[in-house]
Amino acid sequence: MTEITLSPIDHNAVTERVRSNLAGAVCVFLGTVREMTGGRRTASLDYEEYPGMALKKMAELEAEARRKWPVIEAAIVHRIGHLELGEISVAVAVSCPHREESFEACKWLIDTLKQVVPIWKKELWADGAEEWVHPGLNEQPG
Amino acid sequence: MIAAIVPAAGESRRMGRPKLILPIEGRPLIARVVSAFREGGAFGVVVVSPPANAPGSLFLRQEAEAAGARVVVPETQPVDMRASIERAIAELEQDPAVPRAVLLAPADSPGLTPSLVKRLIEAHRRTPRLIVVPSVNGRRGHPIALPWLDALAIRALPPDRGVNALIAQRGALVVDLEVDDEGALDDLDTPEQYARWEKHPAMTIKVRLFALARDCAGAPEVAIDLPAPATVGALKTALAQAHPALAPLMPSLMFAVDDSYASESTVIPPGAEVAAFPPVSGGGDAASLSPDSTMRTVLRPEMN
Repeated sequence: MTEITLSPIDHNAVTERVRSNLAGAVCVFLGTVREMTGGRRTASLDYEEYPGMALKKMAELEAEARRKWPVIEAAIVHRIGHLELGEISVAVAVSCPHREESFEACKWLIDTLKQVVPIWKKELWADGAEEWVHPGLNEQPG
Repeated sequence: MIAAIVPAAGESRRMGRPKLILPIEGRPLIARVVSAFREGGAFGVVVVSPPANAPGSLFLRQEAEAAGARVVVPETQPVDMRASIERAIAELEQDPAVPRAVLLAPADSPGLTPSLVKRLIEAHRRTPRLIVVPSVNGRRGHPIALPWLDALAIRALPPDRGVNALIAQRGALVVDLEVDDEGALDDLDTPEQYARWEKHPAMTIKVRLFALARDCAGAPEVAIDLPAPATVGALKTALAQAHPALAPLMPSLMFAVDDSYASESTVIPPGAEVAAFPPVSGGGDAASLSPDSTMRTVLRPEMN
């Protein structure tokens, strides 16, 4: 199950979606809005998606995880729009027969999601500055 | 569900031959228009053809059906475009579930692309009760998105009035979707217009921009003309020339063609949706950049 939503993520509901009597392990990852980054204070975050492609890539990730691990159920929910400190931006829940595979699948899903799903975040710093977060751009020659 | 209606019963008087089966970039125009609607996300496409005995009618029907349309063949020549549209609406009314909205474009819309259709559908979803009309620099074009109740209202219009009268009547319930897509205005009435489309060596590629790329370019979408067939590599070069503000980002920009990541050698099909954007938000070594700092691609070591 994949979803992109403007509403707050109910992590209990996401967890319940993947719980199953066939599972011996449920692994849940929550990404949350962090206040401090390298000594600088965040006020809030804005997330933006590429409509259509973002959800399509999330569905591809779920299918790939199901090929790699004995996944019983998987749920990937990403929130977009304006998020306050501490709020959940992304939830990944995976149920598998055993814990090792559920940890691995959950970690692979969140790591890969962060590389390939076209959703971007903008830091709204407490000092009033706004900055997009785009990994890798700092490696380009100036 | 959003359907599309393509009135295609016209007699092509000014063209002097059935224009809807003329090839554009290798495909009959009617097939191109039906495919654009389907690839752009319209669920059912209803084409109203000329009567069966009209010149070219059978070929038009075959091509439209092969492209995935439902074809209504009227007994007699519809008196005008409105009559064809009403015929298509009556056809959709027979379905177990009527559509929430219909997209409407004349069949002679050679510039209609899946990307334009997709934009209209997105705009309709944002404002499902309003009529959405694409406009280019204030000039209105096609396709328009009509909520189903507005589509039903066409038959209540006074005689001799067309869909434009309905749009005028709705006034504030009509929203313009500004597009920089000249294709939304093109029609194909004369041999001279066809001659332009027939050569059509260049393709216009609309590139959607997101996040920092959009902020740097100052626009959510830019149009680039390139000789066909064009690759993503050629597009990158042209994009950096046309929009110098994007040039510093270019080495790290990612490109997607029809929702799939593309490499420099990817060939861009006509009408494909192309997007360019910076790397996505994740990763432990994220650098934060504002539009200004990115112009200089400033490293912010405190962010690592």
